Amino acid sequence: MGVPVALEYGRPSLVRWMLERGTGPTEIPESSLVWFELTRDGITLHVPKIEMGQGIHTALAQVAAEELRVRPEQLGVVQADTARGFPAATLFTFGSTSVASLYTPIREAAAAVRSMLALAAAEQLGTETQQLTAADGVFQVAGTDRKLPYQDVIAAHQGPWQEPAEPPVLRPAGEFTSIGRSVPRVDFRAKVLGEAVYGYDARLPDMGYGAFAVPPRFGARLESAEAGDAAGLPGVRQVVIDVEAGFAGVVADTRTRAWAAARALKVTWSEGTRVDTTALEQQVTAGDGVVLRRDGSIRAALSQGRIVAAEYRTPMAAHAHLEPLAALAKVEPGPAGKVEVWVPTQSPESVLEDLHAALGEDRPVVVHVTQLGGSFGRKGGQHLAVEAARLSAATGRPVHVGWTRDTDLRQAFYRPPTHTVMRGSIGPDGMIRGVEQHSAAGDIIWAVAGLPEPVRSLLGFDPGGLLGLFLPYDLPAYRLVNRREQLPVPTGPWRGLGLMPNTFALESFFDELAEAAGSDPLTYRLAHLRKSGEQGERLRTVLRTAAQMAGWGESLPPGRGRGIACSGDVGTVVAVVAEVDLSGGRLRVTGIDAAVDCGLVVNPAGAKLQAQGSIVMGLSSALRESLQIRDGQVVSDNFDSYPILGMADTPPVRVTFTGGADVPYGMGEPVVGPVPAAVANAVHAAGGPRLRSLPLRL
Amino acid sequence: MQLLINGRHHEIEHGDEPLVWVLRDELGLTGTHYGCGIGMCGCCTVLLAGRPARSCQITAAEVGERPVVTLEGLAERDADGAVVALHPVQQAFVENPLQCGWCLPGHVLSAVALLARDPAPDEAAIAEAAQPNLCRCGGYNTIKAAVARAAELARDR
Repeated sequence: MGVPVALEYGRPSLVRWMLERGTGPTEIPESSLVWFELTRDGITLHVPKIEMGQGIHTALAQVAAEELRVRPEQLGVVQADTARGFPAATLFTFGSTSVASLYTPIREAAAAVRSMLALAAAEQLGTETQQLTAADGVFQVAGTDRKLPYQDVIAAHQGPWQEPAEPPVLRPAGEFTSIGRSVPRVDFRAKVLGEAVYGYDARLPDMGYGAFAVPPRFGARLESAEAGDAAGLPGVRQVVIDVEAGFAGVVADTRTRAWAAARALKVTWSEGTRVDTTALEQQVTAGDGVVLRRDGSIRAALSQGRIVAAEYRTPMAAHAHLEPLAALAKVEPGPAGKVEVWVPTQSPESVLEDLHAALGEDRPVVVHVTQLGGSFGRKGGQHLAVEAARLSAATGRPVHVGWTRDTDLRQAFYRPPTHTVMRGSIGPDGMIRGVEQHSAAGDIIWAVAGLPEPVRSLLGFDPGGLLGLFLPYDLPAYRLVNRREQLPVPTGPWRGLGLMPNTFALESFFDELAEAAGSDPLTYRLAHLRKSGEQGERLRTVLRTAAQMAGWGESLPPGRGRGIACSGDVGTVVAVVAEVDLSGGRLRVTGIDAAVDCGLVVNPAGAKLQAQGSIVMGLSSALRESLQIRDGQVVSDNFDSYPILGMADTPPVRVTFTGGADVPYGMGEPVVGPVPAAVANAVHAAGGPRLRSLPLRL
Repeated sequence: MQLLINGRHHEIEHGDEPLVWVLRDELGLTGTHYGCGIGMCGCCTVLLAGRPARSCQITAAEVGERPVVTLEGLAERDADGAVVALHPVQQAFVENPLQCGWCLPGHVLSAVALLARDPAPDEAAIAEAAQPNLCRCGGYNTIKAAVARAAELARDR
C-alpha cells in the first residue's frame, strides 16, 4: 500500500528572475507538484518531468535524496502521470527549465517528508526529533547505537502523517553528499537490458496496429475518403473514416499490413502548397520589421569609420530523434468511456486537450508518459495519441500507431530558416562604433501555440526567435530590426529555438569585425564585454577558459585553425573553441573545447553528456543538415537524404564547468548556441573562405 | 516456422515480415528498436550467427536456422529469467551511459561482436565498429569510452 504525500509549492523565484531577464521562453506552471510515495519498501519519487535522455529523472532524484538523507540509489524513481493526479501542465518539459525550476521545490518537499518521518520515528523510539540524526535512510538516536530505518518507520506508522510546523532548514551546499556528484543514471540498467518502455514499445494484450492516410503536401486537407482496396488486404480488421475530422485510417493485425492498407485507402486531398526550399528561404529575407533595440545613434555610428557588412543564412532542419513518433491508446466504449494513452511526449497537457477535443470533453483521459527516444523539441506539439484513440474507439480494442521514418520526417515541424544582415563600423581606436542588425526568421513559438495573429503581428517577434538574437557586447550604438514570417510549412521549436541560428550570424559577424580591426577574436570579445555587468563577466570567464583549454594563441600547421564563439541562454553562458583542418581539401573538425557556466551542477557526468550532445548536434547542423522541400513536401525524408553526424566525423569534445553559483541554470540547450559559429570562424582562421551559410561547405 | 532467439526456439506466424517487427510485435522483444527502415541508423541491430545485422533488412523466413541474439539475450540469467549479471558491454554502458538510449541495440551488439573477434581493440577499431550506428544524442565520445571499458571488463572476467 502506498501512502501518497503531496506538497505544493509556488513558482520558484529563480525562474521568475530568469524570465524577467528575458532569457527563457514563456510559461512556467504556477505550482509544482512534488510527490513522494512512502511504502514498506522505502520512498519513491514521482518525477514531475519527462525523461527524453537528458537525465532529468536522475538529477531530480539526487536533489530529493540530498534532503531526504538517503543515497540516490535508495530512492525509487518513477515517471509521474496524470493517473495519479498530476496536473498535465506541471509535467510539461521544455526550455532547459526542469532542474532550475524544481531544484528548490523538490528540496523543500523532500526536507518536509524527512521531518514527517523524523516526527514518527521520534515517537516510535520514545525520543525527541532533536535527538535524531539521519543518513543513508536510517535514523539514529544521537550518542547511542539505536537505529531505525525509514522503511521500519513507515511500516510501523499509524494514522495520518504529521506535517512539520515550520519549513525545514535545507542543507548547506558545503555539506552536500548527493548534489554535485556523478551518480549513475537511474534509467540505464533497464535501457541496456532492452526493458525500458518507450512510446514505440508500449503494448497491451489484444492490441491492433493502426495507420492512417497522411497528406501528400503541406496544407492539403482530406476531401474524400473510401476504403478502396484497403478493406480486402490481408490482416486488415477495420477501416475507419471520418472525413469531417480529416481522418482515414485502418487497424490491422501487423504493423506493416496496417501501413500497406493505409496506402491503399482511396483518398483525395486539397491542393495544399507547392512551395520549395528556395522559395521559403527567399520569403525569409531581412529588411523592414519591428525595432527591438535602439541604443545610441546608429546613423551617426555608421556614417563614419571603417564599415563591415555581411549577411548570413541558416536552413531548415529536422529534429531527427531516432525513435519515430508512436502512441498506444485504449478507449472504453460509449461517449463517456475512459481514454487511456501511452505516449512519448514532452507535453501531456496538449495531448490531453487534443484528446478531449477529438473524442469528447466528457471522457476521463489518462496520459501515461513513456520513455522518449530523443525529442529535441519535436515531441512537444504533435503526437499520434489522437489517431490511436480514434482507431481504438472505432474498433473497441487497444491500438498502437507508429510512424515510419519517412512519415516522421515529412509530417513534422522544422527549425525555420533565418536570414541576418549585419552592418558595423569600427572607429580609429579599433573599437566598434555601432552595429545595425536586420534579422528574419520563420515562426517558432507562434507556429505551435500562443496569441492570436493580430497580437503576434503587433509584437513583431516570435518569443523563440528572441533566443540568441541580441549581441551581448557593449556597443555605443546598436539597432536591431526583426522580422517574423509565417511560412506555408510547419515550423516550431528545435533544440535552443533561435539560439543556434542567431548565434551563428552574430558570432560570425563579430569575428569579421575583429578581423577588420586587426584584432585577435578572443581579445576583441573580451574588450567589448568590459562593461556588461555580471553576464559580461561570466562570458569573459568562459571565453578565457575555453581558450586556455584549446591552447588559443599557440601556432598551428598550415591549413589548420581555431575559432571561438560564445552565447547565453536560460541563465547559462557558454564559450566554444573549434579546431579545424582544411589540409585535405575538405573541412574536418578536429577538436572542440567548451567552457560552460550553468551555475550549480547537480550531476557533472549528466551535464557533460548534455554539453557533448549539444555540441555534436550543433556540429551536425554546421556540417550536414539542410531539410529539403520540393513541391510542398519534404524530400529529405530518411538518413540517406538527411544525413546526421556519425562517429567518424565527431571529434574529441572537452567540457569544463566554470560556474560557482549556488543555484542551477538551464543545461539542455544553451551549449548548442556557439558551435556552428566557432567552426565557421575556425575555417576562416585556417585560411579557408568566410562561410556565411549553413551547412558549412568549402 | 521457428526462430532461435536468445537460445530459445519461438514459433513464428509472420515469416514474411521484417525480423524487427516479428521480434517486437509478435514476440514482444521491444529491446530491438526501429529507427529508419533502410538499414542506415542501426537501432534495429541484432546478432545473426554472431554478426551484427539490421533486422529491418531481413525477413524472419530469411533468418532460417541462424541463431539471433537481441539486447534481451545478453545478460546472464537464472532459471526464472532474473538477471544474475549484465554482459560486460552492458555493464560498460551502465558505467558510461548515453542519453535517450534508442540507439543502444546498434552500439551494444556491435561492441559485443567486435570484442568477440578482437578482445583488445584500439580506438580506430572501436570507431570502425561503431561507425554504422547513429546516436542523435551525440554520445559518440562516450561510446568509445564504453567499448574500451567493456574490453577491460571482459578481460577481467
